[in-house]
Amino acid sequence: MPRFVKGTTPLAANLRKARHKTPAGADVWTLALQRMTQLFDTFDKTIIMFSAGKDSMAVLEAAIAAATVHRDADRLLPLRVIFFDEEVIPYECEDYTRRTFARPEVAGEWYCLPVKHRNGCSNTSPWWWPWAPEAADLWVRPLPPEAITSLPGFTIDPPAARPSMPEANGLFTRPSDGNVALAMGIRASESLVRHYAVTGRPYSHDNWIVPYGNYNGGRGTAPNVWKAYPIYDWSDQDVWAGPATLGWDYNQAYDMLEAAGVTVHHQRIAPGFGETPTAMLERWGVCFPDVWERMPERVPGAGAAYRYGRGELYAYRARIPKPAHQTWPEFIAGRVAKQADPEVQAFARKRMRLFIRRHYYRTTAPILPSTRHPETGVDWNFILKVATQSDTKERMQPQMRIVLLPDGTRTIESWRAWIEAYREAVKNGATAAELGHPKTLPPDPWPLVPAYAREQLPGLAPEDGADDR
Amino acid sequence: MTDEHLLPGLSAPQGTAAQPVSNLSWLPRHELTANTWNPNRQARPEYRLLAVSILENGWTQPIAARPLGDGLEIVDGFHRWKVAENDAVAALTGGLVPVVPLPETDPALARLATIRHNRARGVHHVLGMADIIIDLLGMNMSAAEIGTRLGMDAEEVTRLADRGNMRARHGHGGFGEGWVPG
Repeated sequence: MPRFVKGTTPLAANLRKARHKTPAGADVWTLALQRMTQLFDTFDKTIIMFSAGKDSMAVLEAAIAAATVHRDADRLLPLRVIFFDEEVIPYECEDYTRRTFARPEVAGEWYCLPVKHRNGCSNTSPWWWPWAPEAADLWVRPLPPEAITSLPGFTIDPPAARPSMPEANGLFTRPSDGNVALAMGIRASESLVRHYAVTGRPYSHDNWIVPYGNYNGGRGTAPNVWKAYPIYDWSDQDVWAGPATLGWDYNQAYDMLEAAGVTVHHQRIAPGFGETPTAMLERWGVCFPDVWERMPERVPGAGAAYRYGRGELYAYRARIPKPAHQTWPEFIAGRVAKQADPEVQAFARKRMRLFIRRHYYRTTAPILPSTRHPETGVDWNFILKVATQSDTKERMQPQMRIVLLPDGTRTIESWRAWIEAYREAVKNGATAAELGHPKTLPPDPWPLVPAYAREQLPGLAPEDGADDR
Repeated sequence: MTDEHLLPGLSAPQGTAAQPVSNLSWLPRHELTANTWNPNRQARPEYRLLAVSILENGWTQPIAARPLGDGLEIVDGFHRWKVAENDAVAALTGGLVPVVPLPETDPALARLATIRHNRARGVHHVLGMADIIIDLLGMNMSAAEIGTRLGMDAEEVTRLADRGNMRARHGHGGFGEGWVPG
């Protein structure tokens, strides 16, 4: 059994813990109302973080419904609702937010501030700032009349000092507010990383309420602020059950994405210049032409990402091939060096080191070029993707190839592929240096394969019968 | 767009008679050759759609080509030239294709021209497309027929016909059961 060391716990172990779901005995809407009521009862203040997206729609509707019937409705209503307008958003988002803020239960604050955002479209301009005053002539939308353009504690000049989103969120509260909950529409089904974010404390009763300060390596802020995820267990269809069965108003930007063929699970209204800008930009021109028109001149690299975002230039599925004369570490160091910003380079290096360390923590096997290790999910192509996209939001995770079946057995087909790829690489003259392996390359992978896989793959044993691990 | 965005010194010939399209001629397909740089790739459904388009509307757009050696090299219209291999398309014109010959064009300008012919076009706004689909359905064209004649699969036709209305298309199963971790 591996030892678990804080900070290096293999992700697979976390996921095993996190993936267990126990039915709660009630539907998600009833549960969301209960959770909102719990927030109102427990915290001195509850703030709704609104993005105009479908998940914050569900949180806001639950908050309004729970507050309206709460015995303290007079104190709770209208709800404090905070919207960060990211400038490059569809006009449908603006319309939906305006309708929402006109509701009597809502006291909305509409911020148009130059928050520091990642720009994954460009190696030379890795950050961008919506509503930046110096770019006023290039803004893709006019400043909305409701806009609040300053906030105490929010530095606007110089640009390098502008806060990022987690830092900005901390500016809304003061210690004198008492305990504050920020209600957010984060759901486990969005991604594995989000699943872990909302279920990473499986032995705590209130897994969905987490301290704000833990975010961003503790740089966050106030110890009296908490994040709350009242709809953490909702599926996409649960979210859309609101408009369909309860008649909620919703953001018509989703109609555009739906009509354009984007599947429900992939529908995002955020501009998505982040780490993987790309897949969505292609649909943007089709769905939101009035915003799109001005985007290539507003966000450096947006035009290039639109045309080539689905290809190897942005490490989307395809990868730039490694030249034969370079080792993998050399090749990847060169790719990282293409990122102009030292901060982004440092992020990429930190994340690559983490994944490589986790790999060798679990196994002594070398990292193969393009075949993921079944238990660590790491291959050099994955590391290359981290190098290209930098992972400044720490959202990328290697994908385990081993699936634990309900009967306790494990799928081992990925081991077959890995063993065969290893032998192929050795046959083609792969060296330890090329694969960045610190020791001599074992001539055959068999001793590196765990017993459960060897038992089920006897046909792959080496002919000399060596069976020592 | 204002004129200052356009580069100065661009000099296409003056007058209608001097425009390349005024010199259109019908030539045997084999007198043209593909160029080596065309970056445009067409997926099979779009390729089939091009055949349907020519078979239904006839030839409406010529192939632009520049003189090269004894023959002509395609600058724009590679896929129209390719689809003319098809027997039914070839039978329309006895194997001839419409060609607009460019004057002597240097290799750099030829490359620029290829890219500009492909890139200098907009995108179809999704609601504009939806309105057309709804119009066609109102003109008693069936969804299956629209799919065939526009090169769309059934999914695309339905999504557009619904104008993507999320309230109509999703969430009718109601709220599912919630869960707690552990």
